[in-house]
Amino acid sequence: MTIMEPRKHGSSADGVVGGRLSRIEGQLKVTGAATYALEYPTEGLAHAVLVQSTVAAGRVVKVDTASALSSPGVLMVLTPEDDLGLRVSGDWGGNPPEDLPYHPLPREVQFNGQSIAAVVAETREQAAEAARLVSVTYEEQPGVADLDDPKAGEGKLLAHLSVAWGDAEAALVAAPVRIEADYRTPREYHCAMEPHGLTAKWEDDQLIIWEPSQWSHGMARMYAEWFSLPSENVRIISPFIGGGFGSKGQPLAFGAVAAAAARKLGRPVRLAVTRPQNFTSYGGRAATRQTIKLGATPDGILQAIIHRGANETSVYADVPEQTGAATPILYKVENFSSESRVVPVNTVSPGALRGPGKNPSAFGIECAMEELAYALNMDPLELRLKNYADHDYQSGKPWSTRQLREALTQGAEAFGWSKRNPAPRSMRKGRKLLGWGIGCGTFPVIQAPSEAMIRILSNGRVEVVSGSIDMGQGTYTILAQTASEALGVPVDQVDVVLGDSRLPGAAIAGGSMLAGSITGAVHKAALAARDELIGLALGASGSPFRDTGANTLTIQDGRLSLPREDSPTMNLPELLASLGRDHIEIRRNTLPEDLSLQDQQKSWGNMSRVQGPTMGDYSMHSWCAHFAEVEVDEDFGTVRVSRMVSAFDCGRLYNPRLVESQWRGGIIMGIGQALLEEGVVDPRNGRTMNSNLGDYLVPTNADIPDIEVISVGIPDLRASALGGKGVGEVGIVGVAPAIANAVFHATGKRVRDLPITLEKLI
Amino acid sequence: MTRTITLSLDINDRRYDVDVEPRVTLLDALREHAGLTGTKKGCDQGQCGACTCHVDGKRVLSCLMLAAQAEGRKITTIEGLATGGGDLHPVQVAFMENDAFQCGYCTPGQIMSAVACIREGHAGSDEEIREYMSGNLCRCGAYNNIVAAVRQAAEMADA
Repeated sequence: MTIMEPRKHGSSADGVVGGRLSRIEGQLKVTGAATYALEYPTEGLAHAVLVQSTVAAGRVVKVDTASALSSPGVLMVLTPEDDLGLRVSGDWGGNPPEDLPYHPLPREVQFNGQSIAAVVAETREQAAEAARLVSVTYEEQPGVADLDDPKAGEGKLLAHLSVAWGDAEAALVAAPVRIEADYRTPREYHCAMEPHGLTAKWEDDQLIIWEPSQWSHGMARMYAEWFSLPSENVRIISPFIGGGFGSKGQPLAFGAVAAAAARKLGRPVRLAVTRPQNFTSYGGRAATRQTIKLGATPDGILQAIIHRGANETSVYADVPEQTGAATPILYKVENFSSESRVVPVNTVSPGALRGPGKNPSAFGIECAMEELAYALNMDPLELRLKNYADHDYQSGKPWSTRQLREALTQGAEAFGWSKRNPAPRSMRKGRKLLGWGIGCGTFPVIQAPSEAMIRILSNGRVEVVSGSIDMGQGTYTILAQTASEALGVPVDQVDVVLGDSRLPGAAIAGGSMLAGSITGAVHKAALAARDELIGLALGASGSPFRDTGANTLTIQDGRLSLPREDSPTMNLPELLASLGRDHIEIRRNTLPEDLSLQDQQKSWGNMSRVQGPTMGDYSMHSWCAHFAEVEVDEDFGTVRVSRMVSAFDCGRLYNPRLVESQWRGGIIMGIGQALLEEGVVDPRNGRTMNSNLGDYLVPTNADIPDIEVISVGIPDLRASALGGKGVGEVGIVGVAPAIANAVFHATGKRVRDLPITLEKLI
Repeated sequence: MTRTITLSLDINDRRYDVDVEPRVTLLDALREHAGLTGTKKGCDQGQCGACTCHVDGKRVLSCLMLAAQAEGRKITTIEGLATGGGDLHPVQVAFMENDAFQCGYCTPGQIMSAVACIREGHAGSDEEIREYMSGNLCRCGAYNNIVAAVRQAAEMADA
């Protein structure tokens, strides 16, 4: 077991893969020198401010822009009357777009808070003032506010998400011990600290966009399709992203508005989405509900799992939040059935938020397992170990690696689980009730190709160049480590250039797929560069190796030498000088080798080559087990998480220091989900009532205890070239049920709808 | 409103003359007029702390203060924290050493709050640090490491 103790100062081993190197962009971030999207100076900038709908559904019949247009500084007001000349873009999968017009400021209102007009002015203050003067007349139609609206109904069955094996209904009826319960999660929001927004600038038919992006190539492609341009005419620049968590992977309506306004005006346009507008300009996690039925033998062997789930979606897209995603793969069970539905309501289409699907899914199954443990009078840890899945019962395939047993046992040991008194309300700390609970989590290994370039400069610096992005996961740092190790140059000699769609293509920073993909491409390119350097050094005129008869060299600490002690040596500047070269450039990708250059280029803007966790011979996933302690003040119904221990199997860790930070970040978001976060909808008009950070509560520093994280993973070379599995998503999965289970243990009250707020406990 | 006023702002020991509308906040004056974009806008309504900077040595939310209110007062932003010689402030070093950030967007505000928190004498225990750093949200969830960084810097300040 490796207990992760924070270590302040580095060692010489930190620069290699697996080392604890500090973030190489750290100094830029602590001095304010890291530049985010809205911070690029542009001459002649105009500012756009959005006007959003105030009804849930209907038709814009009139937009009175007269006062806004006569307001000082106003340059333009865009409304549904304006044809912006856009076409719909294709989907993520790379299917060609339908030949239809796209109206980012639509006449038909589909949800409250939809952008329907925009004011452009000389200053942001002028635009904001004029935006308030825009008067919209609607022909209002009845809307469906949320999942609980009586008009919402049962929704549509998504047949492709139905999973079944064995005979779950019969096995459940035959099972001596059964539980059945309904679990619910509310609308939740990303709340990245950097609000969305962009600056758009045209240079002839070239569009430059400064916008936070989790996927520079994909976003460039979609912007290009809106404007009927070749992809290479759009450049997305995004070297720093102030958090994304799934929200910054695609261009959104406001981006089309800003870019269209810039084209109309012939001036660059900046559009800053206000914090309240962030709550409806893109979707967070959909509200969900699910029913779980478990059947077991009296000694705790699972006989059947039946899951029926539903989530809200918008009225214009069926977006599943798969509450059945974790249910089939956490435990051994011979009889299983799962069905998922989507219920259209008048909301912005839900999006992907940390641990999509797996997260609410784990809330259901992991609460249900503890309810079953109490019904059986069995330790919840023992119940989980007793039903340990020896392989993936859904796909029938063996696990690539699965250290979930180790996560459970080593996490339990570090937490002190054996000291738990199983009876609810039995443990106290002072006048507070104490509760302990477990929640397991999982997230699939998703694989995708990437490309990378290594440039060796005449001054000996090595550049790693990639269009991939770093929103805090540590891409800059792990790529420097990867190149340093493969090339044999010190890590402080390596620079990393990221976040620009003109650079080599990469997987999206989403679904925890980027690190495994891009380290593979950088490793491949760096090894090729190393071979190239050695070949050149052996043949260079004036090379000390030329007449040694050697057929290979080593590169260590940035110096080439023969593999013997008294070898002459040569550093990289000396080599480039002897070759008369300004730089050496090597580009490699992890696409299939037989693709044409054109197909290669296309691959970076869509997800057609993304591979799911069971597309090969194995079933590949990250795993975790969370142990939570809560203190409950019965007088006030307040719950505080006082301790967390979480053990993870994410395979090999490229940089444990950064991984620990990301795990803790996921856990903290999970604490928010369990106790604080809930989008509240006005049933009268579908308005998000708490669309700000004072009313939609995310965890503060004082809400968070010390969190101990443990790595139990082993390298998984089927999952990725360097043996890692995904890190970012899995951290949150299983946290909320661990806390809900701890609250039950503390109080004897089972809260099945998140968040666990005080009125549900008193 | 189109009338602008000329303000002379003392930012990081340098004078900045800016022509702004009277309604412009200190935050927007810094970012849009003085070219000092290290101070971040996370909510523009005083809820997240990303815009924290110092006015006369005290932490303020620059999105809730008009630029005009800051005239004649000493403004310090993240760009002015390092010494003239370029040495980082001990809090900046502690944030790097403790990995007290991920995306980096809340970081300038966290650091400006941390410097003030220590100066105010509110860094005596982890509990106290947590409480007095709770006006600065971090959605990446670097809180454990922020507490460690503030503790380290506070200990250095005491030593």
